[in-house]
Parts: sequence; C-alpha cells; structure tokens
Amino acid sequence: MIAPLIAFSLVGLLIFYVQNLVLFPYVHLRLLALLLFYVGLRPSLSLTLALGLVLGCLQDSYATTPFGLHLGASLVLVAMARFSRRRLLLQQLGFQALAGLAALALQEVYLQLVTFMLGYQPLFSHDLIRVHGMEILGTAALGPLMHLLVQLVPDALRGLGWRPRSEPMPYRPFGE
Amino acid sequence: MHPQGRYRTPLLLVLTLLLVFTVLSLSLKRSPALRKVQGLVVAMTAPGLEGLSYVGRSAKQLWLGYFYLVGVRRQNAELQRQLEEFKQRGVHFQEAEQALTRLEALLDLKRQVALPVIGARVIAYDPTLWSRSAIINQGKAQGVKEGLPVLAPQGIVGRIVEVYPEYSKVMLIVDRKSSADAMIQRTRVRGMLKGKGGNRGSLEFVPKSADVQVGDLVLASGLVGLYPKGLVFGKVTAANKKNPGVFQEIEVTPSVDLSTLEEVLVVKVATLTLTEP
Repeated sequence: MIAPLIAFSLVGLLIFYVQNLVLFPYVHLRLLALLLFYVGLRPSLSLTLALGLVLGCLQDSYATTPFGLHLGASLVLVAMARFSRRRLLLQQLGFQALAGLAALALQEVYLQLVTFMLGYQPLFSHDLIRVHGMEILGTAALGPLMHLLVQLVPDALRGLGWRPRSEPMPYRPFGE
Repeated sequence: MHPQGRYRTPLLLVLTLLLVFTVLSLSLKRSPALRKVQGLVVAMTAPGLEGLSYVGRSAKQLWLGYFYLVGVRRQNAELQRQLEEFKQRGVHFQEAEQALTRLEALLDLKRQVALPVIGARVIAYDPTLWSRSAIINQGKAQGVKEGLPVLAPQGIVGRIVEVYPEYSKVMLIVDRKSSADAMIQRTRVRGMLKGKGGNRGSLEFVPKSADVQVGDLVLASGLVGLYPKGLVFGKVTAANKKNPGVFQEIEVTPSVDLSTLEEVLVVKVATLTLTEP
C-alpha cells in the first residue's frame, strides 16, 4: 500500500500546486476531492482512507477554517466512493461521473453543515450556493480525465516493478 | 460472513466519526499538537510551491522583461509604483487636512509613517472557497508573531494567524472570520469591517442615519489596535438603507487585489507613532 499511497499523494500535491500557481484565483475546482473519489473506487480501502487523511491534512493546513474540516470532508467522499463501488458496481465512465457528482454534492452539504455549526457562515447562503454549484458541476465534468489519471498511476508503478499483493508474480521459466 | 467482517464497516464508521470530531474539537481549542501538524505539512509542502513559483516568476520575468519589451516594462512598473505611492500619500494628506479642520492642533503633522516592517513574499493561497488565507515566506525565525498586521502598498491585506518556523499564515481581511474596527474617511462614521469571503467585506453596525456613500474610503480606525490607524481597507461599493433593521448594509471592496499578492509587509508594531509638540 505504501508505494501507491506515496504515488497518489504526490499526484495530489502536484494538483494542489497547479491549483495554487495556475488556476487560482480564476478557476475553482475540487480536483483533490475528485482524485480521492476515483481512488476510492479502486479495491483498497486502506489506501483510500490514508490518502483521504493526507489530502485532508494538506487542505486544512492552508486554510483558516478549523483543522479537521477538510479531513472530515475527505472521509465523506471516501464513504461515498465505497458505497458506489460496493452497491452500484460502477463500470461505465458516465455513471462514475454521476456518482462523483452525487459525492461532491454530499460533501458540500457536510461542509455547509459543519461550517454553519461552527458559526463560520450562514447555512446554504444564497451567494455561495451558485458559486459552489458551478464549482461542483465543473469538477464532476472532469471525472473521465481523473479516471484516466488514476488508472495511469498504478500502470506507472508497475513499470517501475511494483505489484499489488493480490496480483500474482509474472511467470518466469524455471532455471532462468 | 465472518464475524470480524460483519463489524468492520460500523467499527470503521464509528472510529472515523470519532477521529473527525476529536480533531475538530482539538482545533477549536487551538491544540498545540494540531498546530505542529499544520506547521509540518506547510513546512513540507511550501518549499515546493515556493520553488515552482520562483521558476515560473523567473521565466515570466525573462519573457516580459527581455524578449517582450526591453525596458518599457521596467519603466511602467516604476511609474505604477510611484502612482501607488502618490495615491497612498494622497490619502494621508486628506487625513491630515481633516484632522486640522477638526481643530486637532495638538496633533503633530509630521506623522511618523516609518513603521518597523518585515518584507515577505506570498508563496501560496488556500485554493478552496471555504476560507481566504495566504502563506508568506517569513516566520518565527524572522520575528513574525501572531496578530501582526500585513500590508501591501495599496492598503491592508490582513493579519498573521499562525506562525511556523519559516512560514506564516495570513488571514485576509475578506475571510469570514476576519473583523476589524473601521471608519468612513469622509464622515468618520465607525463600524465593524467583516469579511464576506470571495473578494468583499461588509461594514456592519452602521446606523441608517449615518452618511455613507458609494466610493467612500474605509480606513482602519486604530481603536482596537489591530491595524494602524488611517491605513486603507477599501472602498464602499454598495450602501443599502432599505433593508429591515436599524443598520445599513454596506459592501466594501478591498483596495488591494487579495488574489494576486506578491510582496507584502508585516508591521512589527501595530500602532502609528504620533508625536505631540
């Protein structure tokens, strides 16, 4: 699990850097949340949970909101991804994108509720809903691209000689 | 199903909820352990951002300063800087004139604006929409402390909320947790400037009888001692007296573009020196 965790964390960090240096302040997208959702659709729960903690900590460290807000939001996404994986058996990209949209919407509800409970902002404030709604729709539309990126990481790791535990070693003729 | 497997999901759920609520409650109590975690994450990730930002800036400077328009850009930047300086001076002169008309003869007009400051570079922002903060490349090692105001040539940027060994976190004046005592320059009406997220704030607790117009400058009142008196927060961009209640709805847009900050000043002492004759 360590190698994929490091690889996905580095991908997350790279996305965070791109958001900070290129997209901000003109484009707001929840790319880290999308990454976590698509990693959550992969078999390993422990990898997803660990990545959720890493990405949640990263976002919380740069924000002025209470530490733990993004951490909790990451775990909501992990839960949604696992639910989609086990109950809906998602195979097609379109359905995955729709499930991603639902997960991001649920994460938004969680964030709104917690920030409201902490007295940080009014519940479902009118001006926020529109901006956040656009942000969520734009992010979900990038689902297929994120799917490709998430597929690419284990392939790249395999190229470096890494194999998941569940996968048998490649056949080598005896005596070689 | 194996009994261990049956309880796995509820157990995970309970543990996760416990973790989240523990971390949140520790955060609300400003736990030093969580601050250390935050500091560690920033210390590990910010150098990468700083490096990439430096490379990007250098490439951009090479392009704009040499290939694009040799010399003209430098001259333009110098003129822009001078213009901003004169604008800021203009605000100070207006302030001094108003003080004279109110017969504040005792006030020494040789205002000592030379505050002890630390120059810093903004290296990262919080890219989410949930808070407005920035990370600067000066920390405890350089003498930065919590609560110190942060300024840009055009006005107030925010204040330091977290200090790490080599970096600090600045809460921008438009963050929803930010609030400061402010006043309208023209009429001296006071209110509380609160952040509204995005790139705007609102001046609250201003009675409907008070004279506030669109375009009025909003300055730091200096009363709470957080920001130096007379420095610019921004301009009134909307004032509504038709809302219910006893106070006006006043929207303030910061004079500083808080999304494209590069260099800022951290003021070591949050009060202007006013000498009496």
